[in-house]
Parts: sequence; structure tokens; C-alpha cells
Amino acid sequence: MTFSAAKETGGSRAVPVGRKGGGAVADLLRNGTFIVAVLYVILFVVNAALQSKALNINSVTNLVNNAAPLAIASAGQALIVISRGFDLSVAGVVSLTNVLIAAYPIKGPLGALAALAMALSVGGLVGLVNGFLVVKLRMQSIAATLGTMIITQGLALVILDAPKGSVADWLADEMTDRVFGYVPVAGLVVLAVVVLWLIARRTDSVVGLYAVGEDEGAASLSGVPVQAVRMKTFVAAGLLYGLAGFMLSAQTATGNPNAGTPFLMLSFAAVSLGGVSFSGGRGSPVGAIIGAATLMLLQKVLFSGGVSSFYTGIFQGAVLIAAIVFSGLISKLGSRRGMT
Amino acid sequence: MTKTSASRLAVPADTRSSARFRSETLAVAMTFVISIILVIASGFISPALGSWSQVYTILTLASFLVVVAFGQGLVILIGGLDLSIASVIMLGGVMVTAWSGSGYPQILMIAAVLALCAGVGLVNALGTLWLKVPPFIMTMATGIIVASSALGYTSGTPRGVTPELFTWLMKSEVAGIPTILIFVGLFVFCGAMLQGWTSFGRRLQAVGTNISAARVAGLSVSLPVVAAYVISSVCAGFAGMMLVGYANGATLRMGDSYLLPSIAAVVIGGSSILGGRGSYIGTVGGAVLLTTLGTVISALGIEQGWRTVIEGSIIIAALLLLNETFMSLLGGPARR
Amino acid sequence: MTNMKSLVRGAAAALLGAATLAGLAAGTASAEDKKFKIYLAMSYSGNAWQSEAANIVKALAQTAPYDKMVELKEVISGTDPQAQIAAYESMIEDGADGIVSFPISSTALNRTIKKGCEAGVLFFMYDATVTEPCAYNVSYLTSGFGENSAQALVNELGGKGKIFLSRGVPGNSVDQRHTDGAMSVFKKYPGIEVVAEYYSYWDDRTTQQETAKALAAHPDVNGIWAQAGEYGAIQALKDAGKPLVPMTGENSNGFRLALKDGLKGVSAGSPPAQAGYAFKLLMEILQKKRELKPMNIEYPLPWVPADQVKVCAGDKIENGCNVFPDGKVPSSFVTEVFNPELLPELSLASALDGKPTPGATIQPLPADVKQGENEPGINCEDCQAPADLYHLTKVQATVQP
Repeated sequence: MTFSAAKETGGSRAVPVGRKGGGAVADLLRNGTFIVAVLYVILFVVNAALQSKALNINSVTNLVNNAAPLAIASAGQALIVISRGFDLSVAGVVSLTNVLIAAYPIKGPLGALAALAMALSVGGLVGLVNGFLVVKLRMQSIAATLGTMIITQGLALVILDAPKGSVADWLADEMTDRVFGYVPVAGLVVLAVVVLWLIARRTDSVVGLYAVGEDEGAASLSGVPVQAVRMKTFVAAGLLYGLAGFMLSAQTATGNPNAGTPFLMLSFAAVSLGGVSFSGGRGSPVGAIIGAATLMLLQKVLFSGGVSSFYTGIFQGAVLIAAIVFSGLISKLGSRRGMT
Repeated sequence: MTKTSASRLAVPADTRSSARFRSETLAVAMTFVISIILVIASGFISPALGSWSQVYTILTLASFLVVVAFGQGLVILIGGLDLSIASVIMLGGVMVTAWSGSGYPQILMIAAVLALCAGVGLVNALGTLWLKVPPFIMTMATGIIVASSALGYTSGTPRGVTPELFTWLMKSEVAGIPTILIFVGLFVFCGAMLQGWTSFGRRLQAVGTNISAARVAGLSVSLPVVAAYVISSVCAGFAGMMLVGYANGATLRMGDSYLLPSIAAVVIGGSSILGGRGSYIGTVGGAVLLTTLGTVISALGIEQGWRTVIEGSIIIAALLLLNETFMSLLGGPARR
Repeated sequence: MTNMKSLVRGAAAALLGAATLAGLAAGTASAEDKKFKIYLAMSYSGNAWQSEAANIVKALAQTAPYDKMVELKEVISGTDPQAQIAAYESMIEDGADGIVSFPISSTALNRTIKKGCEAGVLFFMYDATVTEPCAYNVSYLTSGFGENSAQALVNELGGKGKIFLSRGVPGNSVDQRHTDGAMSVFKKYPGIEVVAEYYSYWDDRTTQQETAKALAAHPDVNGIWAQAGEYGAIQALKDAGKPLVPMTGENSNGFRLALKDGLKGVSAGSPPAQAGYAFKLLMEILQKKRELKPMNIEYPLPWVPADQVKVCAGDKIENGCNVFPDGKVPSSFVTEVFNPELLPELSLASALDGKPTPGATIQPLPADVKQGENEPGINCEDCQAPADLYHLTKVQATVQP
């Protein structure tokens, strides 16, 4: 019985694709990623209708640049949530990589490469520590990552005690620019993450990831190397957080020891919006990426719609709830028997 | 579709089986022992520390977290999460300040505000039950809505009068003992009884362990869920009122610094974030540990960054210590 | 039963969605040309300081003749710099004429601000500053709160004693500047010992809790240097049953009343009035009544020592009064939201509720604008700080080290 396909579409548990009936369309409707994509398109259309300048290339580039850091971080968070865990260290890793890149800027394209390498190493290292705490020392993921988050936040504060420093010009300019005049570089980076996922999806580790998230005991009995899978998941997530910190540095072009704090709540919101279930074993990082983009787009839509002052918060909360209910309903549409 | 797993089948529903009882009590005792060690160790930092007056200060400061963490613990026990407590703490504080001194009897106003907070909890519960919105999103959304509404209602400056009841609670003494400590003692006793020794508490645990199995066994799932969220919001609102009594005023951000610590206290206290297991005494231990740690750390004369690193390391160390004890006693499956 | 539930859920979603769309449709303002489009771009919200600052801008925008000239919109983006970047971008896209803002970061917003300047938008920052040269900074930050208040405390203590440092938010440049200024004075006196340094997040409650913790460790403190939230320190001292020691803090009503009642010290610190000043300057430039290139504008440091506290009789700050009676406003109310010289159009209702004062009209600002000193990392990028950055302007040392 194959786990992967059914799990990733966010469909019901342990039932192979096709058996629920309804065919390809129904499968699509049950797919959490597809639903959030539809949501995004609807919001985009509303935004364009309210604000005529929304379709010009500068606005689109701004949109992509703005969403890219959260999108990449949420992809990492999605991996952990799929494995039925919580990763609070996202906030600390993003802050730490941001201050490192701003405190030690290196010029030119090679400098940017060095910065990227530094960001990935820091993220990967924290991921390793998380994995060690959770897998070897048997801590709850929320507890272990709470600890690593506080420690990495502290380290960020040690390196930069206030917002200062500046990111190397090449990095900040190029990563927020466009290639061929039309394609935002940040968008290409996010696309690269998506492609990597599509390739990794077929590997044993990822299939194992879904199995472990769904039912760790059963997965272990089926021969899935649970410890190795969990370890790899934490490292992969850490790498993604590092990349997110790298992209954030390009956007703000400066260092801020508290840069990662907003990512904590937002990454979970993006993950949930993207159809990833907190009970594990379901959903896709691609959904989380689109979920993040939706959250950022929502701010713009509310702005264009003239929502101002404290009403913005009220609308944000209401739309968040409406969006989740909406996805749930569409998902139901795709199941003839209405399984929970 | 039921979720079963080899490790979960082994968990007994009756928490009074002796082996579990012993190990859990030991783990909980460990949190208090660590706090005591920290207090004594802090005596090396400054001569005035490691004293009874420091202990009184810590317990007073911890009282808010102890109250809030009870509600959060119940929600986590049923497998949910309450991210709205920061806003509800603020709601309780701001509204009780605004409505006191309006001429109506104090008790009536306090009850009305608590009812308002309970309403928020009800919305949370119904959102997760009927609308099937995951608790994370539902409570986060209600939190944002409540915070924004309060901002609009007060135009940014909460005005009013501090209710005397809470000034008395936080600042007075009864027979030489600070009233707040007596209150905390009573609250902890009642809370621990409710969660650990009543059928209500066991019902919550059953729902958290396996919601589908609970349904199949004929237990009503809605009532425990609603009760948990409502209690959580009422606790948060009450804590807000306590804060108003303590600080003689309300501000719109007063609840923010209690959200993450409330979850941390519950987790450090031994509850599983996924639900189905946890004791309130453990949570209290976690709350006291966090407050003690914060107090001792801020007495260190080093820069903030390093203080934070040390704080995080001690939290991890404490968690490991608690886990090893549990592990070695049962020699069994890991806590997740 | 399942169908019923789906129906309920469907109805709920539809209602929420419809309400949202209705709200959006109603909110889309019809284009009114000739009115200046001004955005009030806030980041933090929900403390008295921020709300008072926003309220007076709103009140000014509704005061004649601005009420016919200005379309003011308030946007709150929270503590996430990315959210404020997105907000600025939306405002620039929307064709804003001017943006009055409390920036959440002194550096992260620069690139977006630069793009805005190129599109012809005027940026006026109040209190917090940015290092982008094309933005106007209206701030008291350069007037030396830290060093002046520290010297005043040292004078009170006769040059020796144990003190607490109650700071702001860790990792914030305003907190850093204040603390650096204060430490430059404290370091000169070997008799002054900083026994506790904690972060109070500019909040009364947090100040109270952190001060309580510090008192547990050092019950024999002689003085407290505090940033905003100082009223909490007074509460902590009272809670611990201690006599009130000399304190310097910012401008809360509760603190000033305590100064009147015998507390020794000085009330200085951040005035929300900066927002009103920034707004009026922006409007005068837009109306071509004033020509001003982007620069750092210094707002004078409020300075009220204990012997100069005077209670106001009415709802206005006039006749030299500088604090409201107990009960008229909460103790956390920041009193320096008025300025009879620069902002005569305001009254208590403006600060508390954002309402214009009946019968008031906008008065022109004094022609002179004070230039603020260069402070690298705070209000300029490639610049040098003057050699005597921490020189005293409000007090002289009465005690020598």
C-alpha cells in the first residue's frame, strides 16, 4: 500500500488514490495544495480589481520579494508538521542568519555565495541539534525547539545588539531584482525549492516521512527507519530556515536581531492555510508556500480595499477563518461520502 | 478513522496505576527541585538572593502564569491549543477597568467581564467543533480579532478604575501571609483536583488521547471541548484582572508576554503537546521554574544576548533532566 | 446530521466571505482629487504613547482647513518589518502624497523609502528614525535624553550610590542610544554603581515586575534611571514597602504626579507631540508654504524637574502646567503630547480620542527648524557623530567625579 500519493494530496488516510471515487476532479478538490492555490488566485483577482497598478511588473516583483522569505520558512515548517511535530526554532535561525550576513558582509557574487553557504550551515547545524534532542534524547519537538529558539535568539543578540550592519550590495540588489526583465529572482529561488521537493517526493525518506507522521508505531513496524527520517527532516527544515534568512537579508538589506520573531506565528498559519494537518501525515510544503504567499497577499488586498486602522486586524482574523472553512468545504465536495 | 499505534495502546487510562503515579510525581517533583536549586545558586550572585523575600517575589510574579497555564493545560490536554489567551488576558484587564467605577456593584461587573471572556472561549470551541477549523488557526484568529476590537473600543488608551477586590487580592496580607499566595495555593489545589481526580478531568484526557475512540465509547465530545476552551478564557480573563490589581492599570499589550510561557510551562510540566497526558501540578512546577529562571537570569550582570543563551540552555537542561527520570523509571516508549 | 453540519459550515463561510467583500467594497474610497493623500503608517500599536501620537495626527487632519484638504488613512502594520515594507509599497502604489510614520526599523525600510522618494512621496518619520537620506526625521532622539537624565540622577545622589537601569526593548536602536548616553555619564563617577540592568519593554507592568525582581536581589538601591514605563518602578518600590528613591523617567502622568508629591527626580523623555509636529511640517511643505530639504529635525527634549511640576486646571496644557490631576487620565497617559507653541490646536479630547478641538484652526509653525546631530546607524548612514555627542544641554554636573 503506497502512502505517499494519498498523504500528500491531503486526502483521507490510508486509502489509495482512486478508491474514494469521483475520479481526477474529486482528487483535485481534496488536494489541500490545490485549494489554497485557488484561494490565492481569488485574492489576486480581487486585488487587481481594487488596485489597477497591482498588475504591473514592479508590484508583482514586490509581492514576490515580500513573500519569499516566509514562503521558504513555511516550507521547512511544513516538513516538521507533516512529521507530527512543532518547530519553534524557525524564529531563531532566521534572526541568527540575518545578523551574521549583515554583520559580516562580503562583496560581490562570490560574497553572496559565501553568505548563502553560511546561512545554510547555520540552519543545518541547528536542525542537527534539534534532531539530536528529539531523536536521541527523546524530547518533545516543541520543547526541544523552544530551547534552541531561545538560544539562537540569544546568539543573534550577542552578535548584533541593535538593528545595524548592512548586507553586501550585490546580494541585496540581485536577489530582489529580475532576470530577463520579467522574472523575479526571489521567485526563481522559491521555484527551486519547489522543484527540489518534487524530486525528493519520490525518495524513500519522504515516503517514510509521511508514514512516520501518520502513525509512528505502524511505520516502525513496517520497517521505516524512523530515527533517520526524523533527523533528516529536522536538518532539511533547518536548511530551509537558513535560506529564508538569506532571502530576508536580501530584502531588508540590514541586520536585525529580532528579524525572525514574526516568522513563528506566521509560518504555522501558512502551513495550516496550505492544507497541512497538525495531526501529521498530510499535506505538502508546496501548499505551505502558497499559504505564505496568501497571507502576504491578504495584507495587500485589505489595503487596496481601503480597510485601515484597527479594522485590518479584525478582517485578517475573519478571512483566516473563512479561508479554512472554505478549504474544508471544497475538500468535502471531493468526497462523496463526506469523511471527516 | 482511528489513530492507533503500538506505543499508544500501552497507555493505561487510569492514571492511578502505581508505576505511572510514581514516575509522574517524581518528574513533577524534579521541576520544583530545579527551581529550589536555582534560588539557592542565585545566592552566589548576590547576597540578598537565595532568601525568603526572593521566594515571595517569585511566587507573586508566577501567580499570573500559574492561573493562565491551568486553562492552557486543559486545552492542550484535549489535544488543542489556545493562542488567544494573550488577547483575552488583555480583554479581562481592560474591560474590568472600564466597567468598574460605573456605579454598578463590583462583583457584578467582574462577573460580566468573565462572562465576556467565556464567550470568547465558546467561540473558540465552536470554531474547532463545528467549523472544523484547526485550534491553532481558530484561536490565533480570535486573538487577533479581540485585540483589534479592543484597540478600536478604547482608541488606544484604556481608561477606568482598578477594582478594589483585585487590589486587595494582589497587595494585602492575611495573618502575615500575602493574600495572593493563599489564593495561588487554593487555586492550585482545586485545579489539580479538577484535572487529575475527577471524572471531568478523565473525560478531557480521554478526548485528548483518542477523540474517535471517545466518541465510539459513547462519551460526549463537545462538552469537554467547550468546557476546556471556556475555562481557558475565563482563567486568562481572571489573570488579566489580577494584573490590573498588581499594576494598578491596564494596557493593550498586557497579555503578550504570557502566551509562549503558558505553553512552555505546560510542556515543561510534562504534558504532551499532542494531548491525552498531563498533570496540573507539573504545569505549576513548570510555571514556577520559568519564573524563577527569569528572575535569576535578570540578576546576572551580563549582556542580554548571553542571558538569553543561558536561559535557553537551562530550559533544555531542565527538560532533559525531567525526561531522563521518566525514561529510566519506565524504560519504555519516549515522550513525544 | 452530516448534511446539516455542512450546511451550517457553508452558511458561516459564505456569511464571513460576503461580509468581508462588502466591507472591502464599502471601504474603497471614491477618488477625490485635489485632496492630499496622507498615510499614517504605524507599526506598534496598543500602548498609550503610540495611540496618543496617532490620535493627535487624526485630530489635526480634521481641524480646519486641513479637514477639506487632507484624506488621512491610518495603517497599522505591527512589529514585522516586512509588513511595514509591504505597507509602504502599497501606499506608494496608491499614489500617496505624504507618509507620516513610526518606522519599526532604522535600516530595513530604506530601500522601499528610496523608491517612494523617487516616486515623489514625502516621508516624515516621528520619534523613531531611519538612516535613509531622502526621509525627514522628526525626533527628540538627538537631544540627549540618556545623558541629561543620567546627570540629573547623579546630581540628586551626590555622585555616589547604587542604581538600577530600566531599559527598553533589547535589540532596538532607540534603547541603545539612550543607554549609551546614560552610561557615558555614569562611567565618569566611580561612586555610582549600576547593580541591576533589565529590559522593561517600555511597559509599566513589565517595569514593575522587573524592578521587583531587581529589588529582591538589591534591596538597598539608591536610585533608578528609567526609560518609558517608569510608573511601574514606583509601584514596585511601594509593593516592596520601600521608601521612594530618586528616579528619572519619561513622561507618564502618574510619574509626574509622584514628583509633585515628593519624589525626587526629573521627567524627560519621548513626546508623542513629535507626530503632530511632523504632520504639520509635511502639510506646510505640500502646500508650498515652506521649503525644506530632507533632514534630521530635532524636537526639543521635555524637561520637568520635581520642583517645576504644575497641575493643569482644565483640559488644556496652558499657563505652564504640565500634568493632569489624578483620575482625569490614566497614570500611563503620556503628558508630553501637547505643545502650546507648536500645536496650539490640540486638547485632551484630541489625545484621548483623536477628535478635533471645536473652533480650532491650524496655526502656522515657527519658521525655524532645529537640525539634529548626526548619529550613525540612527539617522544617517555614512556619517560621523560629532566629537561631543553626549554633551549636556539641560543640566550641569553639580558633583564632580
